[in-house]
Amino acid sequence: MRRDRDVREFPPARKKEAGLAAVSRLPRFEQCLYSIWGNCRKTRVVQPNAVEESRAPRPRVGLFITCLVDLVRPQVGFAAVKLLEQAGCDVEVPAQTCCGQPAWNSGADKYAADLARQVIAAFEPFDYVVAPSGSCAGMIKLHYPEVLANDARWLPRARALAAKTHELISFLVNVRGMKGVDAHCAARTCYHDSCSSLREMRVREQPRELLASVDGLSLSELKEPEVCCGFGGLFSVKYPEISERMADDKIADAQATCAEMMVGGDLGCLLHLKGRMQRKGVNMRVRHVAEVLAGMAGEPALGET
Amino acid sequence: MSAREDILAAIRARRAKAVAAPPSYCAPAPPDSVQAFVEHATRANAEVRLIANETEIPQAVAELLRARNLPAIVHVPPNASNLPWNSAPGLMRERAAPGPEDAAVAIAPFGIGETGTLAYPSATDAPASWHFRAGFEIAVIRAEDILMRMEDVIARLKATALPPTLNFVTGPSRTGDIEQTLELGAHGPKVLAILIIQD
Amino acid sequence: MTLDPRAFREAGRAALHDPSLRIALGRLKTHFALGRARAVERYGDWEALREQGRAIRDYALAHLDTLLEEFERNVVARGGQVHWARDAKEAREIVLRILREAGAKSVTKGKSMVSEEIALNPYLDANGVEPVETDLGEYIVQLRREPPSHIIAPAFHLNKEDVAKTFREAHTALDPDRPLVERTELVAEARALLRARFESADAGITGANFLTAEEGAAVLVTNEGNGDLTRLLPKTHIVLTGLEKVVANLEHAAVLLRLLTRSATGQDISSYVTVMNGPRAPDESDGPQNFHVVLVDNGRTRLLGTDAEEVLRCIRCAACLNHCPIYAAVGGHTYGATYTGPIGAALNPGLMGVGVAHRHPNASTFCGRCAEVCPVKIPLPTIMRHWRAREYASGLAPKSMTAGLGAWAFFAKRPALYRFAAGIVACALKFLARNGRVHSLPLLHNWFLVRDFPAPQGKTFHALWTARQ
Ligand code: SF4
Repeated sequence: MRRDRDVREFPPARKKEAGLAAVSRLPRFEQCLYSIWGNCRKTRVVQPNAVEESRAPRPRVGLFITCLVDLVRPQVGFAAVKLLEQAGCDVEVPAQTCCGQPAWNSGADKYAADLARQVIAAFEPFDYVVAPSGSCAGMIKLHYPEVLANDARWLPRARALAAKTHELISFLVNVRGMKGVDAHCAARTCYHDSCSSLREMRVREQPRELLASVDGLSLSELKEPEVCCGFGGLFSVKYPEISERMADDKIADAQATCAEMMVGGDLGCLLHLKGRMQRKGVNMRVRHVAEVLAGMAGEPALGET
Repeated sequence: MSAREDILAAIRARRAKAVAAPPSYCAPAPPDSVQAFVEHATRANAEVRLIANETEIPQAVAELLRARNLPAIVHVPPNASNLPWNSAPGLMRERAAPGPEDAAVAIAPFGIGETGTLAYPSATDAPASWHFRAGFEIAVIRAEDILMRMEDVIARLKATALPPTLNFVTGPSRTGDIEQTLELGAHGPKVLAILIIQD
Repeated sequence: MTLDPRAFREAGRAALHDPSLRIALGRLKTHFALGRARAVERYGDWEALREQGRAIRDYALAHLDTLLEEFERNVVARGGQVHWARDAKEAREIVLRILREAGAKSVTKGKSMVSEEIALNPYLDANGVEPVETDLGEYIVQLRREPPSHIIAPAFHLNKEDVAKTFREAHTALDPDRPLVERTELVAEARALLRARFESADAGITGANFLTAEEGAAVLVTNEGNGDLTRLLPKTHIVLTGLEKVVANLEHAAVLLRLLTRSATGQDISSYVTVMNGPRAPDESDGPQNFHVVLVDNGRTRLLGTDAEEVLRCIRCAACLNHCPIYAAVGGHTYGATYTGPIGAALNPGLMGVGVAHRHPNASTFCGRCAEVCPVKIPLPTIMRHWRAREYASGLAPKSMTAGLGAWAFFAKRPALYRFAAGIVACALKFLARNGRVHSLPLLHNWFLVRDFPAPQGKTFHALWTARQ
């Protein structure tokens, strides 16, 4: 379905511009539209199938704000909104609290089931559920059907929700066909793969692909990107000493790349790693990858004032 | 109830689901089993030599011993006693079981190309313990007896009867138990040489 | 050294500060993990092989009763005997009875985790039979009176200097001034001493990697050849093994073998694979005259039909240990149990009871690497989670955690209230933060033990979003 010419000339489809987008098939308007677009947006998404998308209805995305993003770093949520809108989605944020993973991973199955039902009811109406976290998305996608395995009424609903749930960055790339972003961030950067993103949600190349398009950013790989950082939710407080050792190994790996900044897709890992860096006096900026992709790298990084 | 009945009853009481027999499986295989055998046996630290026919065995054995500065003595199991040993005059033969520093000959009825493995069914004239007693095993195998997979060897043996002991041997004895670093000759042979008869 | 699975955290703390253990554990990556990756790469369609392995083990577990009966019939038909042990005590007694009947005073042993599981050696010692471990690693830890620290590499936690010291202390009949520095010297010394023990042993005990029903055979995988000398030289050979090791036939075992050696040591096949099919034939000059198989249950059948059932597929390759960041941090002895790492965390609560081993399934971040490398696709984190649920349901979880979860769930189930509370927490944390971080807080002692908490932005997303709409 991809068109051969330079898709950068197309603005992303948005509601207001739906009419304009239809016109945009005429080549002579392209330059003109491009300049209008360039003037009104600081960040512009590059979307290969903008033309087709513009004819299709805009998907409604229910944004799952993780409890850590809500509490600690709302900016990640706004970055996600921005990126999703750039990708031609209508974003809504229904009433929500937490996906229930802390309960599920602790074996508190009843709490987990209560919360799963709550999330399913809130997010069912949407075309997609997207979370800026592989961990929470993985909980909904892979574990809700386990949580509700013995609930005949809710199991089909859990499965249906699982089928349309995505981690943010892989959603942008795999579902919305995003190829790059128009953002600037001059920093030598390393990427931290969270285990749930990597192994549960199959997120690996997508963030690297988008980061490669960030102006000024150079990405260096960790030596052991597939090794866990030691966060593991409540593990970090059940076995703090082991968690500490794992964090130190990860931080040493990151330092060896000479990166000034670490980005990742899961705020849990990042809080744990940044917290450990602060305790050790390691100077490295830490950010959620969505912030960088949404052009918000100018804002203070995690734990900066 | 006896332990046996108890255990079987517990299994029957708990067995939940029906599971179908697994489909048949065929491991990927390279085109030529002899070539694969040489490659894999060499990787497993065996020394492989190709010889033209049976009459070259005694000479090859004598050379292998000489190359290692070992005395020209080789332990020969009953099933190898009919080889044309006289063609290597200086080579002494022993019929007793080999000790940990001795060299011994072994006839391998089958080989496995997939892994460079020798297959030794135990028999009256082929005692199994020799493969582990000797310090230096010199195996003899015909190229035509090198099959591709372990399953092929099992099928051949099952056509008659499985022996009490069936040894699959790949390379010399080894251990990684100290610092996970390879050392050859933990209990069994320190050296394994394989003569492949090509005719 | 005493084994106490309840003391995981305390033992782990000590292990984390053991510099020589740290050196040893570094070899997980450089030796085991790398070797496996290369072997998998060489193989070709590894995923198809794993799927076949899973299917073979699932088939065997679903037909466990009939396969065990078939196995027994065929062992007996070939002149061997099969014994069934419900638990560790029965297993020990059966072994001792066989040894007594054989008049055995000393018994050589191939490495067997089931022997560790049922604590056979101290029992034999106490009953006048001397057990001699012959696998080099197992021999070393036996001399040191330690349990193995790794399921395929018992002396994994040691460096060669430790081994040299152990040998000097144990082998007092040898020249005290002999050179004993290089690994080759250590291996040669053990080889010479143990050969004499093989020759004089009255009986041999090995484990089995697989039992095959159709042939009535036990399949043994080793690299050293010690298992074979243990079987072939003494008069009596006892195979001591878990009853779940049975598969339908040798062909199935051959498939599992491909998975086992590559996953374990990165070898395409081990130096020795032995199909042990009853006692020697009447006209054979070597091999055991008596052949016994002891099938040990010890909690295994209890797992059938439960959410933890899949753990019985395990072929004990240790790939999960070798890729486990927790094992890599604390080593095997921390677990205080025979089975360590992810397989220990998934199996021990089943064998030892949740009340005894509940620390093990909690010692995981659920990073999932173990399940990814497991050659028979055991969903190890899922099973660990199952044990956590059992722990929680039986009230064994720490009170602070259950209370915390209860309070958290109370709010999480009430979105409006949750938002209100979250708003206060976000604001309070920001207020408490200095230089971009919170340094400590009551109640969250364990978080702040090792790290700070980066300062939040001060308002919740939901508050800002509502304001924006
Ligand atoms: S659980 Fe899997 S990876 Fe671990 S030892 Fe068993 S078979 Fe190997």
